[in-house]
Order: sequence, then C-alpha cells, then structure tokens
Amino acid sequence: MKKSIILIVMLLSVAALLAGAALCQDDLEYLDNEAFEDPRRPAVPFSHDTHNQTAELDDCAQCHHVYDEDGQKIEDESSEDQACADCHGLDDDEQKPGLMKAYHLNCKTCHISSRKGPVACGQCHPK
Amino acid sequence: MSEAQNLDNKNQLDTATEAGISRLTPEKIKKVVDCVIKRETGVRFETYMQTCIHCGLCSEACHFYLSHDNDPHYSPAGKIKQTIWELIKRKGNVDRDFIRRAVRIAHTECNLCKRCALYCPFGIDIAYMMLVMRRILHKLAVTPLYIQDTAHSHSVTMNQMWVKGDEWVDTVQWQEEEAQDEIYNLRIPLEKHGSEIMYSVIAPEPKFQAQLIYQAAIIMNTAGIDWTMPAGVGWDNSDMAMYTGDNEIMGRVKRAHFEAASRLKVKKIVMGECGHAYRSVADMGNRWLGWSMPPVPVVHAIEFYYDLLKSGKIKIAKKYEKPVTLHDPCNVVRGAGLHEKARYVANQLCDKVVEMIPNREHNYCCGAGGGVINCGPAFKLSRTEGNSVKAEQLFNAKSRGAMTLIAPCHNCHSGLHDIVHHYEVGLELKFFSDIIYECMEKPEDK
Amino acid sequence: MNVIYQFVAGPLAWAAFILFLSGIFLRMIQLFVKVNQPEKFLLHYFSLRYGLRSIIRWLTPFATTNWRKHPVFTVVTFIFHGCLLITPVFLSGHVVLIDEAWSLSWWTLPDGLADLMTLIVIGSCVFFGIRRIVRPEVRFVTDASDFILLVIVAAPFITGFLAYNQWFGATWMTIAHMLSGQILLAAIPFTRLNHIILFFFSRAYMGSEFGKVRHARDW
Repeated sequence: MKKSIILIVMLLSVAALLAGAALCQDDLEYLDNEAFEDPRRPAVPFSHDTHNQTAELDDCAQCHHVYDEDGQKIEDESSEDQACADCHGLDDDEQKPGLMKAYHLNCKTCHISSRKGPVACGQCHPK
Repeated sequence: MSEAQNLDNKNQLDTATEAGISRLTPEKIKKVVDCVIKRETGVRFETYMQTCIHCGLCSEACHFYLSHDNDPHYSPAGKIKQTIWELIKRKGNVDRDFIRRAVRIAHTECNLCKRCALYCPFGIDIAYMMLVMRRILHKLAVTPLYIQDTAHSHSVTMNQMWVKGDEWVDTVQWQEEEAQDEIYNLRIPLEKHGSEIMYSVIAPEPKFQAQLIYQAAIIMNTAGIDWTMPAGVGWDNSDMAMYTGDNEIMGRVKRAHFEAASRLKVKKIVMGECGHAYRSVADMGNRWLGWSMPPVPVVHAIEFYYDLLKSGKIKIAKKYEKPVTLHDPCNVVRGAGLHEKARYVANQLCDKVVEMIPNREHNYCCGAGGGVINCGPAFKLSRTEGNSVKAEQLFNAKSRGAMTLIAPCHNCHSGLHDIVHHYEVGLELKFFSDIIYECMEKPEDK
Repeated sequence: MNVIYQFVAGPLAWAAFILFLSGIFLRMIQLFVKVNQPEKFLLHYFSLRYGLRSIIRWLTPFATTNWRKHPVFTVVTFIFHGCLLITPVFLSGHVVLIDEAWSLSWWTLPDGLADLMTLIVIGSCVFFGIRRIVRPEVRFVTDASDFILLVIVAAPFITGFLAYNQWFGATWMTIAHMLSGQILLAAIPFTRLNHIILFFFSRAYMGSEFGKVRHARDW
C-alpha cells in the first residue's frame, strides 16, 4: 500500500519533471549517468536551474571546476562546456577522483558545509 | 508440577550439612563469596562468565539432563545459572535456601566429568565453574557430611579411609602372605629405595578391597617389575579434598604422595585403576603445588598394563571368553586420552569387545565420580535415578552381546555397580586387573 | 536534518569506532594483565598447535559432534555469523563512503546479494529469538539481556535494509541505521557480544588443555 503510494508519487513527479523539461530546454532533469557502464543506483534527479536558484549559486566554476596540472583549482575558469566524464574516468587516477567519487564529493561536500541539500544515499538515488 | 517436585526433593540435605546451613548468616555468605571470587578467580572465570551466550548447546552433554527427560534444571548451563550466575548477579547476597540448593546441585548433580566441555562451542570449562561453587561451599562449611568426613580423614591420616599406619602395613603384609600361596617367592617390597616404580593405591583398597593389592602383587611379580610401596604416608593417591574444594588439603595430600616417591627415589609412580586419583595427581593437585606436570612421572594402570602386554612382560594364557564392554572413565579418557590403550588392553585380554555407544571421549559418566558417590547414601537414589541414560547405554551394549562390564576406575566401578543393580542390567563388573589376574600366565614353580 | 546527519555520521561514528576498537584493545590488555596475576599457569598450557586445531575444528560446520547433533541450528548459526561479518564489510554503500573519506576501496557485494544476506541476518535473529522461547533448555538459561542483544544485532540490518529499499523514508532510516550500527559496535566490547573475540581465547585454551595435557579430542 505504502509502496504503491510512493510509486504513484514518484511517477507523478517524474511526469511533472518531464513536463518541466519540455518547457525549459537547458534544465537537466537527471544527471547524465550514461558514462557508467552498469549503474548500481538509480540516476539522480537534478534540476539545474532550480538547484542554482535555491542554492543562490552564480559561479559556474563552483561545480564546473577546472584544475591545473599541479592540482590547484583555477579560479576564473570554468568547464560547463564539457561533460564531467570528459575529465573524470571511471576509476581514480593520480590527480582526479573517479567519476562517481567526483559527483559524490562535489555534491556532498557543498551540502554538508552549507548544511542544506541531500546527503544520505537514498536522498539522491530514489528508487 | 515438575518445579514442585524439584523443590520437594531439594528440600533436605543430610543433618550435618543442614546444621552447617543453619549457622550461615547473609553477611558470612557475602564475605565468603566476595573473598573467593575476588581472590581466587581470575581471567578464566571472567571470560567464561562473559563468553557464555546462553545457547543451551551444552544440555545434551549431561547425563543428569538426559536422564531427567531433558529437564533444563539439570543442563550444565542450567546448573550454573542456578548457582554461579545467580551468585554473581546478586553479588553474594543470597539466603540459606539458595545455598541449600547450591549444595545439592554442585555436590550431587554434577560429576565434574567435563563431557560438557566437548559440547560447548566456546570451550567453557563448566566443571571448573562448579568447582568454584564447591570451593565457596567449602569455605561456608556446608560440604555434605560423608565427603567432608573423607576430607577430614585425608587431613588427619593422609589417606581417604581413616586407615591407621599399622593397619596399612598389616594389610599389605597379609596380602603378601596370601599371594605367597600362589607364588612362593612373591614379595610386596615396602620402602625399597631406588626401585623403578612406586605403586600407589586408593585407601578403599586396603580398607575393603584388599584382593586388588593381592592381584597387583601377582601381576608385578610375574612381570618381574622392580617395584615398591611406601610404608608410611603417601601410599594413598586418592583425594576427595579436591572435590570438596578444600585445595589446601588437596595440596598436603599430593605433596605427601610425591614426597613418598622422591624419598623412595623411584623413577615413576604407577597407580591402580582409579580415575579421580589420576586427576588429582596429574591435573589438579600438581598444579596447586606449582608443578605444571607431575614432578614424578605418573603412569595410570591402563597405560601400565598396556606396556606390560605390549612388551610381553605378561602373557595371556587363555583369553577371557565372555564378551565384554568397556566403560571409558572421564578422568583417564577426557582427562588423559587413554581410551585407545584401554581398547588395546581389552582386546588383548578378551575374545570379544562390544563398544558402548557413545564411547571414548563421548562416553556417558558413571554418575559416581566427582565426589558425588562420596556424598553418601542420602543421595544414592538421586544419583542412580539421575543416570538412567547410562543404564540404557549398558542395556544397549548387553543387547549386542556384552556380558561383562570393564570399568578401570574405582568410582566408576562403584557407580556402575549401583546402576547395574538399580536398573537390573545384569552385567558382571570387572577391573582390568581382575581379568589379567584370571587370564595371565603365572609362574609354574610353587 | 543535515546537522543531525553530520553529527551522526561524524562525531558519533568516530565515537562508536573508538569505543569499539579501544574497548577491544583494553579488553585484550586486561586479559593479558590478568592472566599474569593469579592464573599465570594458564599461559603455560597454551599451545598454538592445539589451540588452532580446536578453533578450526569448531569453525568448521558439522566437524564436531555437537554441530552434527543440531543440523538446523548449525546451518543457521554459520550462515548468520558469515552474513553478519561479510555484509557490512563488503557492502557497496559502505565501501563508497570509505573510498570518499580515505580513498580506500575493495571488492563489493552485488546489491541484490547484500540485500538477501541482510534478510538472512534478520531472519536468523528471529530464529534465535523464537528458539529462546520455544526450546525449554534455552528458555531456562535465557534472560532479558539475551533478547536485548538480539535486537542490538538485528537493528542495523533492519534499518539498513529499509534505508536501502527506501521504505518509511530513506533519510531518517539512514540516520537510524547509522545510530543502530554505532550502538552495535560500541556494545561489542562491553556485553556478551564480546564472545566474537573471547571465543578464540576460550576455545584455544580448551583446545590446548585437551591436546597438550589431556591427549584427547575436545569436539
């Protein structure tokens, strides 16, 4: 019973999100998880603009960061023209965390320090 | 209903023990409990208390439990729960009724046979826990009368049966004379310094089983053993103080025994067919005195007979014809691993050996050991009725042909005797030495 | 919410691990100090060979008489203990968190299998609980603490299962999961759950006594 209610709510919200996507083209509805060969958790629903408005984020480089070869973040550059997976491979390499860890660290570090936004597994990966 | 029955038969102990209980005060009980737990127990006791997960898997190890239709009051952990656990939980604040029940449980419903040690997944030594309980009861002076009397005898005479010094020597010389009818030059050498072997017995032998000394003399003389027996204290290897928790007397008795051996400058001690004496000499008494292993090598009769047969020092003229079954005594099987040697001896002596089921380390206890039979006639019925599973095991061996029951241990012998009679099993009881004496080749010349 | 999450996932988690590890450490110190006090002789009888013989024998299903006497219990207890130890260590969610914190990672269980193993742990706890009530010889030696221990053990698995499957609210369930896991960890050294560690000592001692002194089997 409870599960079916959750299911209906989820379906409705997916429908609403899809409708929103139709209206607003550059608003991502799910974070792109195609780079993962066989994702073990559901994709993360994410409305880019809503998120940034709510979080009052102006600086693209906050998430779309660029690091130099010494591992220093370059302050005035951003990388929104690239996909995360262009830099981050599936596994960690010497300088960069792997794609999943990059996502987790990027989102959770900010959510924890700002004390807002999801942090527990099921909050971002709803079934 | 079973609860009522249990309480009913747990109401009375013998009068002397009841008198001891009537003198107890809560303060005294607490003081003694605190003293024993704090000063005499350590990491082992604590670990056992903390590790037991209350799984109940030890239950089926216990013949009392099995014989009482799986009444949990008789399971090993159940008995510890009613004694030690409760004592610790209440920090020693228990009343006389509790102590009365503890006396009955610790002294008459546990044989310290350690079969449960083979069943506990954690290897908790439940018999040791029960000995701690007995130690507390000893310090409270509420040890059952008969076994306490035995401990007194140890203390006064250094033997178990109030045998006086001259009585011992008289008895040995009497048996020597008797045996000379059979072997004219037979000797029972007393106080022969530098012999290879000191032969020691338990006090019931000179007291009322003198023929066992006779048989031993025949065997020793036939095999040409360089042996001796002490004329003074130390000839008795038995030790009931060990079972009353009177470790101090246990230590004195064992010291006298070892000192006799070193006074006689023997290479080793050979002991008769007794289980608890072996436990006392080679397990508990030596440790109390500070020897990890006995200071003089100790050879149990089973091992001794094994060596004699194996080396051909005694030969069997005609094998014992009746099919026999062999009882594995706890103290020399779970206690010393002599089960395979016992089988060798049995097979050398007898035409047919029928195994009991279970056997070897898993054999059921006789119900008498651990000082239980020594608590006296007041508890005889509860002892025999508390071991119907042994009777079933014997009946089963009998149904497969066994006619004679070999019990190479004095306590087992007496306990099985009671069981055989109570349940009318109809097996004839023998020591190994009985059969060796009967079947061996003896010197021709008279 | 994030504050609570952070508190539970941060300081509380540290506290639980510190209690767990230092508790075990202190227990061991205590064990070795105490063994040297009135019962120094225990060390004398210790034998690595026979200690290990006994431990291995008893950690092998059906290798002892008593395991064979209780086949259902044996199967349940071995699978239970296996799942109990393996699931949390090789759970992908846990490994991901450890990887994020310390860049350490290892092989993980497929999620479906982990879910099944979690259910086995919960089911086994129910089995043990029922056994405590139904079997007279177990009921007699059971007290309230035994049920409390079962609940402490089952709780992280129940909440973990619910949090993963996101029933009754994943967020709060995740927090409840962390809390109950921390209670379990912290409880191990200070309750009879420390049989996890003491098993090896009591078993090894009995094995040594039987092997080295008594020349008999202890199984």
